[in-house]
Amino acid sequence: MAKKQGSSGMKYRQTAGNMVFNVINITIFTLFTIICFFPFYYLFINTISDNALVGANMITLIPKGIHFDNYVALRGVQDFGNSVMVTVSRTILGTTLMVLCSAFAGYLTTKRQMWNRSFWYRALVITMYFNAGTIPWYLNMLGLGLTDNYLGYIIPGIVAPYNIILVKTYIESIPASLEESATIDGASVLQVFTKIILPLSKPILATIAIFGAVGNWNSLQDSLILMSNSPGLYTMQHRLWVYLNSSSNLQAAMTMGTAAATVNNKVIKYTISMVTIIPIMLVYPFMQRYFEEGIMLGAVKG
Amino acid sequence: MTQATLTQASAKPRSASGAIYVVHRVAILLAFAAIFYPGFNPGRITTAINRNVSLFTASISYNSLVSELQRPLARGWVQSSTFVLVMVSSIVLILGIVLCGIGGCMSVGNNRMQRKGLLFSFGGSVVMGGGLIGIYIAYSQIVAAANDRVPANFSGGYWLYAVLTAAICVTSLVLMATDRKKAETLEPKMEMHERYKIFLLFLPILAVSFVFSYLPLWGWRYAFFDYKAGGELTMENFVGFKWFTYLFESEATRSDIFRVIKNTLGLSAIGIATSWLPMAFAMFLTQVPSKRFRRVVQTFTTVPNFLGWVIIYAVALAIFSTDGFVNNFLNNILGIAADTNYLMDSSHMWLKMWLWGTWKGLGWSAIIYISSISGIDPVLYEAAEVDGAGRFQKMWNVTVPQLLPTFFVMLLMSIANVLSNGMEQYLVFSNAVNKQAIEVLDLYVYNLGIVNGQIPMSTMVGMCKSIISVALLFIANTASKKLRGESIV
Repeated sequence: MAKKQGSSGMKYRQTAGNMVFNVINITIFTLFTIICFFPFYYLFINTISDNALVGANMITLIPKGIHFDNYVALRGVQDFGNSVMVTVSRTILGTTLMVLCSAFAGYLTTKRQMWNRSFWYRALVITMYFNAGTIPWYLNMLGLGLTDNYLGYIIPGIVAPYNIILVKTYIESIPASLEESATIDGASVLQVFTKIILPLSKPILATIAIFGAVGNWNSLQDSLILMSNSPGLYTMQHRLWVYLNSSSNLQAAMTMGTAAATVNNKVIKYTISMVTIIPIMLVYPFMQRYFEEGIMLGAVKG
Repeated sequence: MTQATLTQASAKPRSASGAIYVVHRVAILLAFAAIFYPGFNPGRITTAINRNVSLFTASISYNSLVSELQRPLARGWVQSSTFVLVMVSSIVLILGIVLCGIGGCMSVGNNRMQRKGLLFSFGGSVVMGGGLIGIYIAYSQIVAAANDRVPANFSGGYWLYAVLTAAICVTSLVLMATDRKKAETLEPKMEMHERYKIFLLFLPILAVSFVFSYLPLWGWRYAFFDYKAGGELTMENFVGFKWFTYLFESEATRSDIFRVIKNTLGLSAIGIATSWLPMAFAMFLTQVPSKRFRRVVQTFTTVPNFLGWVIIYAVALAIFSTDGFVNNFLNNILGIAADTNYLMDSSHMWLKMWLWGTWKGLGWSAIIYISSISGIDPVLYEAAEVDGAGRFQKMWNVTVPQLLPTFFVMLLMSIANVLSNGMEQYLVFSNAVNKQAIEVLDLYVYNLGIVNGQIPMSTMVGMCKSIISVALLFIANTASKKLRGESIV
């Protein structure tokens, strides 16, 4: 599929007009790519340059006096460490449960024998298109005791209708004969699910897992609304936001670490930002395929 | 043969016992659902117990149960043993409900399984009765303590559970009594028809969806009451559509809501007006001959989409604040003295917000079009070439028409979402200077309800927004069906 991509662009003779077009086209894309990439580069060189120079706003395009003490010094920022734990654990736990649930639910909804299948399936899918609003949702969570409670991050995310649709569509493309032969051999619904469906639907599960993980990693809103009385349960993004908006918090938090003396507010803000960015930057190029497949699957279903 | 058994099973004769089974199952289902709903907590033996504690919460967290009783407990007005009893009874009650639940599930099996299931249901209802008695004892202790500050409360949930327990108990007994089948005539093994088995496996997923997606709708009733945090919803503070009219009658809120709606629609309009950009991005990117170049561009331009808005804000600070890149560049490279904080500026806010959104999302939104372009049949281009079409003519006459269906769906979706700009972007970027210009509906609801605690009013606004959004989606879908013969949802 990807091979065909360039076919329409390759066939032009190198006339002057085409040269001009190509130069302008490539220049614009190069510029946009630099605009997309440069801010992260700028943040990064400021975290690894000499802190005194950073403090004096002297680092603009190239790093000077490279060191990595700032990343080491982050150990001293206690509540950031806390929020990293919250985010990492919810990313792992929340994503795993969501994927398992979506796989199972997606499989069950492909079974035509299910009692009133289309009704229940519609009841599930329709929840994608309406919501009661932030406040009723919050009051509901309050009533369920899921505010200021770590489970408030995990349980609501388990059932994700959109992902269930994706898995269902994928499983429907698996030849039915595989499942039938297993059923004839006496396999139960659960056995068919674990032995046949799960291994065969790995690609789609990888796709929804990666989207789920990114969503958990970037979560801000639920932390903001649900955990207002429990700073210990703030997610990383929420904590970063608090830091970005205050100047006093960090210096108070920076009590130890050898680099602490030279660390300033600006550097530590940049470093914390980088810590939340780097994992995505590292993972993304390897997972890009799954991301792109994900959006296409969504488009097919509409 | 199989077909015959299937029809036989599904066309089971409707008898009196069938109707009783329905009552039996519905009672169990209600008992199960009410566990999670604070309004039906039978263990709220005093109004001093937090009104947001459900039976479930009471059974797992003693701290939540007594969260508003610290003083009465410390002063000895009531004994902590009373509340320990409430917690233990709640656990017993839930245990009973779980047993009934197992019985209820088994009641859709074959006769042998049904018979076993009734034992579970009956046992469960007895256990539930035990839990209810425990709660009643705790209640009478509160009555005996007779302290004004810890007023006794015989909650509606207690009645509900008493009725449900009785119903489950009676129906299971009646069903057991009327089951005249001899043991020898029963099926040799406990079995359940596949259709019910699969449904029961699916039931937990439906339950979670119900609790988190449908139950919040019940919260819309707050919009019709004069409610303050921690208060009660009673008929005395029912105010009907007061908040709705108040929204437009009060000078302050009227100007607020008009400003917010203006922001919402303005930002959405810019988005819709430029929704062709990702398509253009994809069309021009695919014109670049080098595959590696295209790959690199795609990777770097899609990454920002996967970073949260807080990180985008961190980037904005690093680039545009007083000690950010732009000022550094002017000072250090160009030698121009500069110390402007570009973020503390209220001009062209809609445009700036759109730029940030585009910077973050353009590359990603283009991917869907890039994939579509790669799927276009090359024969179409060849035919156009034969007709003497140049590059732009091919793009305009071949590529664009091929991409239009996708574009159309995207456009309709963005029209349906015209009121939902999301709140995170505007929340992180808002400051004292630009707040007025970028407060959108979602953010307004958050600020009003969560930050200022005006629950009824914010619920009213959110409710109107949800209803209008669903209507818009419906209209967009109908339009899509009419114009293209295909639905978008």
